[in-house]
Amino acid sequence: MSCREGEPCAEGRKRLRALLVLGVMLVGFIVLSAFSFLGSRGQATPDEFRFGEYQAADGKRVFQAYNCMGCHTMVGNGSYFAPDLTDEYEKAGPAWLAAFLPSAGGWPTEGALKVQLADPAIAAEAGVSSLEEYYAKYPGARARIERRGGGTTLMPNLPLTRDEIGELIAYLEYTSALNTEGWPPEVRTGGLERRLSLARRAHPVLSAGALPAAGPAEAAAPVTVADNSPGSGVTDLIQQGEELSRNYACLSCHAVDASRRVGPGWGGLYGSTVPLADGTAVTADEAYLAESILHPNVHIAEGYPAGIMPAYENQLDEGEVAAIVAYIRSLEQP
Amino acid sequence: MQIQYDTQRLSLRFFMLMLVLFLAQVAFGLILALQHADPAFLAGTLNFNVVRAEHLNLGLLWIIAGFMGAILFVGPLLSRRELAAPWLIKLLFWAFLLTVAWNFLSQGLAAQGVAGWWAGQPWFQEGLEYLEAGRIADLVVLVGFSILAYVVIRTFPPVREWNEIHWGLGIGVIALTAIWVFGLFYVPRLDLQEYFRWFVVHYWVEGVWEVIHISLVGFLLVLLFRVDVKSVGFAVFWGVVLVWLSGLIGNAHHYFWIGTPEFWQFWGSLFSALEPLPLVFCFWHVYLDAHQNSKPLENAPAFYFILGSVVLEQVGAGILGFSMTFALTNVWSHGTWVTPSHAHLALFGTFGMLGLGAAYYAVPTIRKLGNFDQRLGKLGFWLVFASILGIAFAFAIGGTMQIYVTRTLGLDWFGGDVFPMMTLYKLLVPLFGLVFLLGAGIIAFDLMTMGARAQSTAAFAELRQATGWGGRLSGFEAGIWLMGMWLFGGIITLGLLAFNLPRVRVEGDPTLPYLLAWVGYSGLLAVTLLFVWRFLASLEGRVATSRAVPWGVPEGAVAA
Repeated sequence: MSCREGEPCAEGRKRLRALLVLGVMLVGFIVLSAFSFLGSRGQATPDEFRFGEYQAADGKRVFQAYNCMGCHTMVGNGSYFAPDLTDEYEKAGPAWLAAFLPSAGGWPTEGALKVQLADPAIAAEAGVSSLEEYYAKYPGARARIERRGGGTTLMPNLPLTRDEIGELIAYLEYTSALNTEGWPPEVRTGGLERRLSLARRAHPVLSAGALPAAGPAEAAAPVTVADNSPGSGVTDLIQQGEELSRNYACLSCHAVDASRRVGPGWGGLYGSTVPLADGTAVTADEAYLAESILHPNVHIAEGYPAGIMPAYENQLDEGEVAAIVAYIRSLEQP
Repeated sequence: MQIQYDTQRLSLRFFMLMLVLFLAQVAFGLILALQHADPAFLAGTLNFNVVRAEHLNLGLLWIIAGFMGAILFVGPLLSRRELAAPWLIKLLFWAFLLTVAWNFLSQGLAAQGVAGWWAGQPWFQEGLEYLEAGRIADLVVLVGFSILAYVVIRTFPPVREWNEIHWGLGIGVIALTAIWVFGLFYVPRLDLQEYFRWFVVHYWVEGVWEVIHISLVGFLLVLLFRVDVKSVGFAVFWGVVLVWLSGLIGNAHHYFWIGTPEFWQFWGSLFSALEPLPLVFCFWHVYLDAHQNSKPLENAPAFYFILGSVVLEQVGAGILGFSMTFALTNVWSHGTWVTPSHAHLALFGTFGMLGLGAAYYAVPTIRKLGNFDQRLGKLGFWLVFASILGIAFAFAIGGTMQIYVTRTLGLDWFGGDVFPMMTLYKLLVPLFGLVFLLGAGIIAFDLMTMGARAQSTAAFAELRQATGWGGRLSGFEAGIWLMGMWLFGGIITLGLLAFNLPRVRVEGDPTLPYLLAWVGYSGLLAVTLLFVWRFLASLEGRVATSRAVPWGVPEGAVAA
C-alpha cells in the first residue's frame, strides 16, 4: 500500500526499487567497514601490548568482567559516572595504576608510587629510572598525587587479583595507544591553575566544594616521605608511624579498626593469632609485623590474595618499620 | 469493544509483565539518580555499575515485553485468524520470565568480577553497556525471538496478500532475531567490539525497533480512528524505506571516535542528518490520521501514549539526535550527560510509550470494558510525559556543563572537579524521577486493576469547548509547532558547535554555549509540552459533539 487511495499502486516495483537502493548502500557500508579494520591502517591491536607477563587481551576480559563500563567510559562509551579511561595509561602511567588499582577507594600518595617504581619490572615498563622522570613522562600522576594523594575516591575497592591488575594495566596501555581520530579533543585552555580558576569563575557558587590545585593531601600531611627523623619517646614513635602510614597510603588498604578493607584491619591486630594460607598460624608480634611489611608475600594471611601488597624492603629503614609497627600496636581493638 | 480472536488474550500476560518490569526499571533509575547525587549511597552493597546494568536491561526487556504484547494483540487482527501455535507463546512467556530473572540475578556478579568465562565467551554477564546479559541469557533470548518470528510469520496470510503493515512487522520480527546475532560473539579488539556492539544497540533501535514501531503505530491508529489501512500503509512504506536508507550508513555516527577511520565522520554525519526524515513523516501522519476524518477520540489514554511516542520520537530521537550527530558537535557531546538526555527521551518516549499505548488499547478490549475510567490513564500520561522532559532537561544542561569542565577545561576527575559544578542538575534528576515513578505507579495500577475497580462514566461528563485552545488543530498550525521544535533544535545544535569557537576553546569563556543550551533545551521542551497539550485539547474538543452514546459498550457491561 505504498500509494494513496485512488492512485495506481505498483507496490512490487516500488519495494524492489527501495531494496535495490538499500542493496547499493549495504555494499558501500560493507566496503567502508572492511577498510576500517585492514591491518595496513596501523591501528593498535591488543596482541601488541603486554605489561610484564600480562596480556592486554586478557585485560579486556577483566575490564568486562567487572563491568568497568558501567561507571566509566571507554572511547567515550559507557556511563558518564566516572572518568573516561581511554588515555588513563598515557596520563598516569603504569606505576600509578599499579598503586591505585589494588585499593581503588584511596588516592595513591607519592610514597605509594615510589614503592611501585622500586619494582624494577614496573620501572622498566614505565621506561623511567627515577620519580622525577616518571612525573615528567606521566604528568597526570603528579597532578593526581598533589591534588588528591591520600584522600578517598568515590570508587569502591574491587577484589582484583595481582594478575587481574597486571592485565588491566596492559589493556589500558593498549587503549591509550588506540588512534581515536582526535577524541577526546585537545585541551587548549592553558595550565591547571588557569583551568581551575576558569571553572571557579563559571560556577562560583557550586564549585565551593571543589578541590584546589593542591589538595587536602598537602594540607593534611607532607607529600614527600623523606625526612622522618626518629622521635625519642614511644608517643613520638607512634606519631611517626601514623605519619608514615599516611604518606605511604597504607590506610587505603588497612583500616584502623579490625574491619577488612583490602588487607587485614590493623585494629587489635597486634598480639592476635593470624591464620595463614598454608594452614599454620602465627602470633602477630613485632617480628611478624615487620617481616610482613618488608616481605609481604612470605606469609600470606588466610583469605587474602597474594601479591597485592608491594614489598617495602628498600623503602623503609629499620626505625621506620619499628614506628609503623608501634603505630599498629597502638591501635587496640575497640 | 471486545477481542475478536481468543488468542489475542495471550498478549495480556506480556502487558502485565511489562508493567512490573517498567516499575522495577524506574526504581533502579531512581537509585542511580540518588547515587549520582550522593556517590556513597549503597556503594559497596549495590554498586553503580550493577544498578545501571539492571536499569538498562530492564529498560530493554520491558520494551520488548510491550512489543510482544502489541504484536500478539494485532497479529490475529492483521491475519483474520487465531495465532498459530499458542502453546509456543505460552512457552515464550515463561522462558522470557526465567531469562529476566536469571539476567537480573547474574548482573550482580560484576561486583566480584565473575563473568563466567568458558570457551572464550562470558556466560553469566558480559559487562558491555546495553549488552550486559551473559551468553546464557543471550541464547535463550535468541530462541525467544525466533519463536516470536515463527509465530508471527505462520499467523500472517501468504506473502502475496501482505499489506505494508504485514511487511513492516514481518521484516521487523525477523530482523529482531537476525541483528541480535551480532551481539553473541566476544571480540578481543576494542574498536571492532564497539563496531559490532552498535550493530545491536543502534541498528536494533534505529533499524528494527523503528520499523516495528512505525508498523504498530500505523495499525493502532487504524484501530483507534478506524481509518483505512491503505492510507496508513503509505506512511508505513515510506517510513520504513527512509529509516533504512538513512539509518544503514547513518549508524556510523557511532564510528567517529572508537578507533575506526576518519572517513566515517563524513559518512556518518551526512546520512545520520537524514535520519529525522522518517520521523517527521511519522509525526505528520499521526496528525493526518487523527485530524483528517474528525472521528472522536474514544480511547484517550491509548492515543495519548501513541501521540507521546511519536512526538518524543521526533524530539528525542529526531531533534536531539540530530543535534549531536555531526562530528563537530559529537566530539563534544560524546561521553557526557548530553547523551542520556537524548537516550531517555528517545527510548522511553518512542518505544516505552508505544508499549503503554498498546496496553491501554488492548487491556480494556480484552477485559471487555467499553466505558473505562480514563482519568487515571491521562493523569499517568501527563506525569511521565512532563517528568521525562524534565529529566532530559536536567541531563542536557548538566551535560553542557560537563562538556565545559571535562573537555574544554580538561578537568576530568568527576568526584572533585566535575560533580560540584553539576550539583543542581544532579539533584533535579531524582526530583523529576520521583514524579516519573509516581506516574509509572499510577499507570501500572490503572492497567492492572482496570475492570476490577468500580467503573465510572465520569470521563464522559466533562464537555469541552471546541474553540480556542481546544479548537481544531489545522495542518498549518501543526507545521508551525513542528518548526518551532526544530528552531530550538537548531539552537541546541549551534550551542554544541559553539564549543569549537576559540572564545570557548582557548579563552575558556562558556557564556555562548551555556546560553544557547539554556534557550534551546528549555524552548524545545516547552514547545513539546505545549504542542502535546494543544493537540490533545483539540481532540478532547471533539468529545463534546460525538460522545452522546459511549462507544462500543457491550450490553450489560456497565452496571447502572
